Amino acid sequence: MAGIEAKDVSKRFGDVQALKGVSLAVAPGEFVSLVGPSGCGKTTLMRSIAGLETPDSGTIAIGGGDVGGLRAADRDVAMVFQSYALYPHLTARQNMAVPLVMRRLDAWRRLPLIGDLLPGTRAAKAEIAAEVARTAELLGIEKLLERKPGQLSGGQRQRVALGRAIVRHPRVFLLDEPLSNLDAGLRVQTRKEIVELHRRVGASTVYVTHDQTEAMTMSDRVAVMMAGEILQIGSPRDVYLDPRDLRVAAFVGSPKINAFAAEAGADGLVRVAGTPTGVAVAIQGALTFAARPEDIAPNAHDGIPARVEHVEFLGEAVLLHARVAGATEAVVARMDARRAGTFERGQSIRLRPDPARALLFDAAGKRIVARAVPLGLKEIALG
Amino acid sequence: MVDAARPAVAFRTPRFGEGAAAWLLSLPAVAAYLLLLLIPTLAVAALSFTDFELGLPGARFVGFENYAELLRDRGFAKSVGNTLVFVGLVAPASIAAGLGLALLIEAGARGRTFFRAIFFLPVVSMIVAMATAWQYLLHPTIGPVNAALRALGLGTPNWFGSSDWVLTSLGFISIWENAGFNMVLIMAGLTAIPRELYAAAEIDGAKSAWARFRLVTWPLLGPTMVFVTIITTIRSIRTFDTVATLTQGGPNKASELIVYTIYQEGFTFLRMGYAAAMTVVFLAAVLALMLIQTRLVERRVHYG
Repeated sequence: MAGIEAKDVSKRFGDVQALKGVSLAVAPGEFVSLVGPSGCGKTTLMRSIAGLETPDSGTIAIGGGDVGGLRAADRDVAMVFQSYALYPHLTARQNMAVPLVMRRLDAWRRLPLIGDLLPGTRAAKAEIAAEVARTAELLGIEKLLERKPGQLSGGQRQRVALGRAIVRHPRVFLLDEPLSNLDAGLRVQTRKEIVELHRRVGASTVYVTHDQTEAMTMSDRVAVMMAGEILQIGSPRDVYLDPRDLRVAAFVGSPKINAFAAEAGADGLVRVAGTPTGVAVAIQGALTFAARPEDIAPNAHDGIPARVEHVEFLGEAVLLHARVAGATEAVVARMDARRAGTFERGQSIRLRPDPARALLFDAAGKRIVARAVPLGLKEIALG
Repeated sequence: MVDAARPAVAFRTPRFGEGAAAWLLSLPAVAAYLLLLLIPTLAVAALSFTDFELGLPGARFVGFENYAELLRDRGFAKSVGNTLVFVGLVAPASIAAGLGLALLIEAGARGRTFFRAIFFLPVVSMIVAMATAWQYLLHPTIGPVNAALRALGLGTPNWFGSSDWVLTSLGFISIWENAGFNMVLIMAGLTAIPRELYAAAEIDGAKSAWARFRLVTWPLLGPTMVFVTIITTIRSIRTFDTVATLTQGGPNKASELIVYTIYQEGFTFLRMGYAAAMTVVFLAAVLALMLIQTRLVERRVHYG
């Protein structure tokens, strides 16, 4: 098994700086997702690891050795493309055999008829056939092997593409949005299968996706990318509960985290729309106060005044959409369906974020330390 | 707006049914097909059973006499043979040249538009006018080609004057003309190949340009190449203008190609019935060729 280490990788396409000195280390056997909105540079970083793009600066090492001078074919990486990129004229069996044929048979032995006459060709071909059959069995696609990609469904094609990637046991496994062309039900199922496949194969895996749910559910670690930079890399738990940047907090989690414009006074106490929040910070001035929907609740007596816009019943939970006067985005509170009261559109309510779970970010969007402070009676009265 | 809706309702009444509307809408295409293709072809076929001569009044039905004469006509046999040799030379060479040019231009980093325009020039230029230039270039005594050969100490063939060389010389002009046309078609086919397949081939270990060509380019170019082969075969079978302007079929019928022979029979010797019989045979042969090509090859290049 081999790890991947990318250091200070930069890449520019014309006027667009796709990667701005990105560093990423993937431990041997680890499953790391690169997640971010489209155009954030995640695919460029993956293609740089594969050897399909040449970075303008920075180094990439696989298994401890610098691969900067090696072309894609020599890096011992396998890749599953978003479009699957299967060869349309070859059957599933032939598609899966290509990486083995290209590596084990030289140009003469690949020739039809003549190749078979050369010594060793037949034995090598028999071995390739056996390995393809084993891989097909692993993926449960034995019955599809004689079909061409045009005769396969999206999900079947995706399996053949996976098969082509794992058949030669590569050191590194790269997946570029492999689920984005599947329908929702199949996507959830395939997610699990890819994770199980990764456990069996054990190769270091980089998985590119724009879907945070995929990244969170599948990975050992998630790297959140935006505008050519990795903003944070950590376990799904860390990225969700302990985001280091407001953009990470906003990207991960659905519904989106609630962000309020806030003000810290000389005493360090944070107020949102003049309402004390029960949180204190070490700085003064404008900042952002953020709370996940499950960490915010309507309250009869105190909190941020808002008006109910919309109520969604999800079964196990209720999402309450409310608007704070002057805010552009609605606040979403997630409540246990059995304990939530009833709300009417237009009703005036007060929302109280849990001070112990609130996340605070400075004016530049960087996370700052916050502590919960008990609210004095005077402050409640003022609110 | 009630008025505007009325005709749509009228189409649905039983008196003017959907079928009638369909026929009415396809009438222009049907009329064009009948008037411009089917009726003239049938007229030629009918004419081939007569001894009609241009300028003479009346025509007599002669049955298969024209066809029987064709079988005995050594001039016609020579012309068919010449055409086969000519197509066998021009079609493969101009397809290979077109493919080579297209791959070179696609692989090049710059000047794509420039080179494409340069090699497409023979297609847009009038071949009759260009024939004059070729006549000068290949002139046995004052032509630059022979001057160059002389300087190198090589033989100087009489390109259009020798019956050994004349088909090759005409063939070379046709290759020069068709290669640019094929290049443009193949370039269009090349741009339709998904880039990701080349990335996949690279990762799968196709290191050499030849390996990538065999794995991706050639198979995915299949449908384009079938079309290019058919169109080139037809274009070279129909070659007429260079023969008419440069050699008039000579010397000694060595450059008589089938369309030129038909033209001579019909418009020089005015034997329309006989020319019509030749045309029918020619048409049948071309049709058969197209059928064989599409049946044999098309099935193997369309994946899906």
